[in-house]
Amino acid sequence: MIKCVVWDIDNTLLDGVYLESGEQPPPANPVLLGVLHELARRGILQALASKNPPAVADYVARLAGLDFAAAECGWDAKPDALGRIAASLGLADAEMAFVDDDMLERAEVAAALPDVLVLTPEDAAEAASWPQFNPPVVTAEARRRGQLYAERSRRQAAAGQFGGSRAEFLRHIGTRVTIAQATAADLPRLHELSVRTHQLNSAGEPLTEEELDDLRSSAGHDVITVRLADDFGDDGLVGAAIQVARGQPPDVSVPLVMMSCRALGRGTLDALLAWLCRSAAGAGAARLHVPCRVTDRNVPFRLALAASGFRAEPGERAPDGRVLFSRPLDRDLPAVPEYVLAPGEP
Amino acid sequence: MTATADQVAAELRDVLAEVTGRDELRAIPLATPLFGGGVGLDSLAGTLLLRQVQRRYGVDVAAEDLNLDSLETLGTLAAFIAARS
Repeated sequence: MIKCVVWDIDNTLLDGVYLESGEQPPPANPVLLGVLHELARRGILQALASKNPPAVADYVARLAGLDFAAAECGWDAKPDALGRIAASLGLADAEMAFVDDDMLERAEVAAALPDVLVLTPEDAAEAASWPQFNPPVVTAEARRRGQLYAERSRRQAAAGQFGGSRAEFLRHIGTRVTIAQATAADLPRLHELSVRTHQLNSAGEPLTEEELDDLRSSAGHDVITVRLADDFGDDGLVGAAIQVARGQPPDVSVPLVMMSCRALGRGTLDALLAWLCRSAAGAGAARLHVPCRVTDRNVPFRLALAASGFRAEPGERAPDGRVLFSRPLDRDLPAVPEYVLAPGEP
Repeated sequence: MTATADQVAAELRDVLAEVTGRDELRAIPLATPLFGGGVGLDSLAGTLLLRQVQRRYGVDVAAEDLNLDSLETLGTLAAFIAARS
């Protein structure tokens, strides 16, 4: 499934060449602009990569009336520009498409990044009907994704100006993490998170809305949601955990933790893990277990586990083969930051 | 060329300053913890650090160290890399 389309500008999104058009820059290509809006509506991110001065990105954003998730406008090779876009959005090459009218640029990207879907503008004009561009679920969060990434670039610019530590910055920008029990209205987004999250996902297994609803309604499990907002914007529902309900001390098990990569670097996963520890300790548990499928993509999740004091015994596996990370709850609990709100918590 | 742990640590200080945006990390002692107080590495900065380590030294820390114990301090990470690169 394609999660981001990276567009060239000259003779692709624009009907002409930006720097060769004198006073009045060229107009947008109406067909491709329509495709771009349709794909954005489906929650697919839109980004720019162009050999042009940076000002071209603002010009195209105004023409398109849309916030681009990332823009790499400069004189670097296209594969380098795509690599930076993929890294900044937390995407794999196979989740990216690249549209360019220039055969050499396409060839260069295809050779350097063989997993990227490389398209001519003619291909792109009909791509909206292709299965790779038709995500099965489109939630409100997904439709707002481009805007959320634009808020993120403003946040990152502010972080670059800020002198103190990351924790001080998160407080400075009014970070708010809200933890609550899942409701029926959360199910489509929870399903989407289970499908789309890889870097911050302990299980790597999609759950249907029905499965999630069963877990939510069962007495044996708690489905816990995490929302994230700050002064730059509201990211909405970014993560969740499924916890085997208390009642069997001394241990509590959390078979699923998942979080959008938008929350990376924003203290949210650490806050959730700290809250889960405090909550289990408060219920009298002696250890918290997080069974984790160890993959090369969820290294960021393992980093969060390590930072929160979780460890695995190398030989110790859960029945389904996952590695059992756990930590004791009687000492050195990670601190729950004061910006974590948990209304309705007992 | 084999890098010594001291050389690796000197380079890691620069990498840490870059991935966290905090210049003061260019002067931290070897015993500084990477998680928690000290460097305060989170999953984003940690991932960027491990990518740089793999690119510079060819050492895949995450693949070789399940619990990421090598990230305990600057000194333990430098020693882990120097022993493998």
